[in-house]
Amino acid sequence: MGDFFSNLSLGFGVALTLQNLGLAFLGCLVGTLIGVLPGVGPIATIAMLLPITFGLDPTGALIMLAGIYYGAQYGGSTTAILVNIPGEATSVVTALDGHQMARQGRAGVALGIAAIGSFFAGTVATLVIAALGAPLTRLALIFGPTEYFSLMVMGLVFAVVLARGSILKAIAMILVGVLLSTVGTDLETGEERMTFGLPFLADGIDFAVLAMGIFGIAEIMRNLDHTETRDVVQQAIGRLLPNLDDFKQAYKPVLRGTFIGAILGILPGNGAVLGPFASYTLEKKIAKDPRRFGRGAIEGVAGPESANNAGAQTSFIPLLTLGIPPNAVMALMVGAMTIHGIIPGPQVMTKNPTLFWGMIASMWVGNLMLLVINLPLVGMWVRLLKVPYRLLFPAILMFCCIGIYSINSLPTDVMFIGFFGLVGYMLIKFGFEPAPMLLGFVLGRLMEENLRRALIISRGSLETFIERPVSAGLLAVAAILLVIALLPSIRKGRDEVFTE
Amino acid sequence: MKKVVLALAAVAGLAATGVQAQGYPTRPITMIVPFAAGGPTDVVARIVTDNMSRTLGQQIVIENVAGAGGTTGITRAAQSQPDGYTIMMGHMGTHGAAPALYPNLKYDPTKDFAPIGLAAGTPIVIVAKKDFPANDLKGFLDYLSKNADKVNMAHAGVGSVSHSTGIFFNSVVKAKPTMVAYRGTGPALNDLMANTVDFMTDQIVNVAPQIQGGNIKAFAIATPERSPVLPNVPTTKEAGLEGYEVSAWNAIFAPKGTPLDVVKKLSDALMKSLDDENTKKRLLELGGVIPSNTERTPEALQKLVESEVARWTPVLKAAGATAE
Amino acid sequence: MSTLHEGSGPARPGGPVRAPQNIAGGLVLLALAALALWLTQDLDQGTLNAMGPAMLPRWLAIAVGLSGLALLAFAFIKHGDALERWNLRGPVFVIGGILAFALTIRPFSFGTLTTPGLGMLFAGPLAIIIGGYATPEARLRDLVILSLSLTPFCMVLFGDLLNLPIPVFPQALTGLFPSDWSQKAVLRATAAILAVAAVIVFLATRSRHRGPIDVADHSGRI
Repeated sequence: MGDFFSNLSLGFGVALTLQNLGLAFLGCLVGTLIGVLPGVGPIATIAMLLPITFGLDPTGALIMLAGIYYGAQYGGSTTAILVNIPGEATSVVTALDGHQMARQGRAGVALGIAAIGSFFAGTVATLVIAALGAPLTRLALIFGPTEYFSLMVMGLVFAVVLARGSILKAIAMILVGVLLSTVGTDLETGEERMTFGLPFLADGIDFAVLAMGIFGIAEIMRNLDHTETRDVVQQAIGRLLPNLDDFKQAYKPVLRGTFIGAILGILPGNGAVLGPFASYTLEKKIAKDPRRFGRGAIEGVAGPESANNAGAQTSFIPLLTLGIPPNAVMALMVGAMTIHGIIPGPQVMTKNPTLFWGMIASMWVGNLMLLVINLPLVGMWVRLLKVPYRLLFPAILMFCCIGIYSINSLPTDVMFIGFFGLVGYMLIKFGFEPAPMLLGFVLGRLMEENLRRALIISRGSLETFIERPVSAGLLAVAAILLVIALLPSIRKGRDEVFTE
Repeated sequence: MKKVVLALAAVAGLAATGVQAQGYPTRPITMIVPFAAGGPTDVVARIVTDNMSRTLGQQIVIENVAGAGGTTGITRAAQSQPDGYTIMMGHMGTHGAAPALYPNLKYDPTKDFAPIGLAAGTPIVIVAKKDFPANDLKGFLDYLSKNADKVNMAHAGVGSVSHSTGIFFNSVVKAKPTMVAYRGTGPALNDLMANTVDFMTDQIVNVAPQIQGGNIKAFAIATPERSPVLPNVPTTKEAGLEGYEVSAWNAIFAPKGTPLDVVKKLSDALMKSLDDENTKKRLLELGGVIPSNTERTPEALQKLVESEVARWTPVLKAAGATAE
Repeated sequence: MSTLHEGSGPARPGGPVRAPQNIAGGLVLLALAALALWLTQDLDQGTLNAMGPAMLPRWLAIAVGLSGLALLAFAFIKHGDALERWNLRGPVFVIGGILAFALTIRPFSFGTLTTPGLGMLFAGPLAIIIGGYATPEARLRDLVILSLSLTPFCMVLFGDLLNLPIPVFPQALTGLFPSDWSQKAVLRATAAILAVAAVIVFLATRSRHRGPIDVADHSGRI
């Protein structure tokens, strides 16, 4: 315990120098602005800002880059809530209820609770990393391909629960999502699958492209449909910040979300992506009235947002303690560290204690700054909604185009958001929900890869999934969840078959 | 308003025939790195261009165009204007292994480029899980030949450095371990550390920290000389394995047809950058090998590309034939 | 995925079909499954020991097809939603705007035809103005002002401040400026000119369109 405090004080000594505070602030500010712009992700920005950090000392540079990362996470939620465009897999869930809240004039409350929940989650996650980072690393090594496959199966069951309307349609959408994830070059054999021979499909469909099309562009088309009918809810913008009632409703989901997100974030195979989904599923299942979910339930924003931020934070553990990046942003951080002459690995903690603990302390500082930056901005974002829609949507359209282009510099990516926008519009018209499809897509690739890996290693024996205890446990949870999800609809009789 | 638009459009139409800039470079140069930001090639590119930008007096902006084992970015760079404002960082995969791996490749590494020079090589290390029942290369090869059906070899996906060099290793030692594919080196290393897979071959920059930390063990490094980063790891030759010397080299190319004086300017800037103490220090920290003065020239790079294509094509084609 | 069923129209739930929306949905799923099966027909399925590239997509396609069939079957058994009316204007102009951006941001070639790479300077306004017409309420004046003010904002933000490698303007444009100007200076000057143009257009055309923009009509709808 003495170590814990001496480490933390060493860290804060580093993080609270004037220069590092300034860098953290700059990083958070840039990150927030970037996160808000639809499509422009932290990856492109961190890559572009890398050369600027050449002149800084490594600790300062990494503090700034890390600031961009969580700043972008915060900003991404803002876009998801305001205009229903989730920039990353983790903010898909936020868009579900957050955007509904915005439509009901509660955008300020949604943004506020997201910021406060995230701050709380960030604080807890920082403490978890400081206290348990090293021992938790072992958790990462328990998870092999077999366990990952089972975890992904559990994730797909979450997607069923996530669905609002017909369960049959939700399952169909999940399957379509997984099917879409198999487009592209096969990892094991290098053969192209379902690419129509098009070179830009060789690496599969980009998540950002799919999400922006299915959610963002389709949303614009759908809104335009209603122009004539003007079914606009005439209401005041409402309170800008959550009040006591909101907090009462939200604090338990925040606690649960933080816990779930922090644990899943430690997993090296991008387990953090499951956090918000798991949290949403849990909140919906234990809610007294699950029908509120998808219609602007504050718990559906508070829980997943906390899980998201806790996971974003704890996903630094595999990077800092093992040197293994769990996702693309972390891979970029590895690059940033190597450019600065620090090769990430198990020795960073002992060889560069000031960097290690300084970064951890700066995470908390960064979270505090984000709260300070974001709460005043809430008013500005909400006012953005007052811009007439006929002017707002062309602007969103242009930002989407620029954002998507900036990811890979491929015009075909831009065309694809148009295509997927049309697809998403059709899905809405046919009563399908896009969220389960996106989750299927995100988990599908991980699921297939790990399934094949597990079977190759077990030499084709399916028993491997039951023989390994962690995997068996996860599958059991998945089965129980599925039964709970299906039972009510089966019991309700014929008229309501397959509808919740 | 309409007139203005028309006028601007007309000007835009002139783009191709635009004024040839005197005193190259007069504007920022784009370097296409055909891999995701943060990877070994990207890091080498950023370190080397940092000093080159200062020499040239114009920023070299890195543009990451990833996809299809780096061939997407190289294809685009090869087709861009040969005016010296678009250059690229090619590597062992895109300019050596690609012709064998991608039958529909839209460029010929030996013909479609104006080589600038070799930037840095990162040696390949043969590593295994720490519980592996052998402690040196000899014991490892022995085990491999006796337990061929039990051993799992990890690689970072078809077309990756660990995949190509792994296939090469198998063909040299005549082993057929089961290949397990991962998406990138990170997850593969993770499973190696967790004892889920048995061994792999990968670039020193990726594996060195885990070797130093005792999470995995290294059998040999595939270079003629030991690396200062891993002084205790013997070379393949020292360990008794002939014919397995590979490194993931990175080199700068321009599209074919780039004016000679531009090539010269870029090549000189690269030479100067590689002599810079700061650049050297950073590359060495990564375990990189800095090419000697004779290896850095455009001519030497052209020879290297030709020999690499000749080396990889039969190895990979043979492995592809047996994999079916 | 691109099977369109606009012709189906808003059929009244009568006769044997009780849920027209589900009929359409089911048909789309079936078509998608068929497409996936057709695309993977040449690929190897492999065995459990060494799964081939086709194993998972094929089984998924079959599952998607089965869901489609189930959806079709239920459409005859239980009542459901009618098909919503399709509005073509929105999708056509939105996609048009996106395509215009994609084709002009950098040179794009299909076959022998190559579009000029005009950069954000032209691609941005094209996306805004073409896309803007997706709503019948579109006014050219507003869209022009919007594009003249947003484009310089984006040029400075993405090209100058964030330094993203996105084409900002055609290279020939530098010829219009003094030759010793740097790329960044040209960018800033162009952005300034656009911004000034936006103000001029705004002031010059103000008298013709009287009346404030109706804010209340749209508030909250997004």
